Amino acid sequence: MEPTTHNILVVDDSATTRAVVKRTIALSGAAVGDVFEAGDGNAALGVIRSRKVDLVLLDLHMPGMGGVELAGILHGDPATRDIPIVVISAEPSAGRIEALKAGGVRGYVRKPFRPEQVRDVIHHFLGGGQ
Amino acid sequence: MQTIVDISDAKVSADPADTLVTYSLGSCIGVAVYDPAARVAGLLHCQLPTGTMDPAKAAGRPAMYADTGLAHLMKLMAARGASPRRLQVRLAGGAQMFDDGGVFSIGKRNHAAVRKALWQHGLMVAAEAVGGSSPRTMYVGVADGQVSLRTGTVTTTL
Repeated sequence: MEPTTHNILVVDDSATTRAVVKRTIALSGAAVGDVFEAGDGNAALGVIRSRKVDLVLLDLHMPGMGGVELAGILHGDPATRDIPIVVISAEPSAGRIEALKAGGVRGYVRKPFRPEQVRDVIHHFLGGGQ
Repeated sequence: MQTIVDISDAKVSADPADTLVTYSLGSCIGVAVYDPAARVAGLLHCQLPTGTMDPAKAAGRPAMYADTGLAHLMKLMAARGASPRRLQVRLAGGAQMFDDGGVFSIGKRNHAAVRKALWQHGLMVAAEAVGGSSPRTMYVGVADGQVSLRTGTVTTTL
């Protein structure tokens, strides 16, 4: 029997950050299936509405649709509101982070992050690890 | 039995009766690695960030530098049958010694260099005790990989 795998969507306008997060996911030891990438909120919505996504790692500040707007859309849609969203951002405002959590965001990792922080998020929401 | 790892040195051991120990970790970084399946432990005591500062010296004493030192430690571990995928990594040191103004920040630079080298080797850190202004002694038990730190008269498990 195949082990259960989970798919992760990495949303960040920086290709470098997406690559770092993807490598961290690969090193995490978690049973991860597909890792999708999106450079903004609109692209992320396209992925979420066409693929099975089990965790969204979300930057806030992006051109076009940013992370705040995307989180609001996902939280307001019964079809997507249960997908965990963890913000990975350099957002300096604690108040804004608390507001995001009140609006459905489940976690926050501040940039620059240590790879272990992202690994721990993945293990927390998707299980697994060694 | 204790096997002492000097400054700018790296050693590995598969003897369960052995403890690797390195003294005087100030701005230097101690990198402890352990493969629980192969029961092999390693300890690096690196002094400076990168071997590009002095390639000739790095070639002769790779453990002096974070980047060449980690590569050297990984080779020693592989030669004893350790697998990078199984390695548990713990760090200590990187203190700001005799540098109250933070002019050189060698401890921070060492820590950043070790972190970068670990990332390049695909290794994450299980635990670390870095920064501050006190020197540390680091012990690695080969039997179980337990890492202990002594600062002054206080010993803690990392």
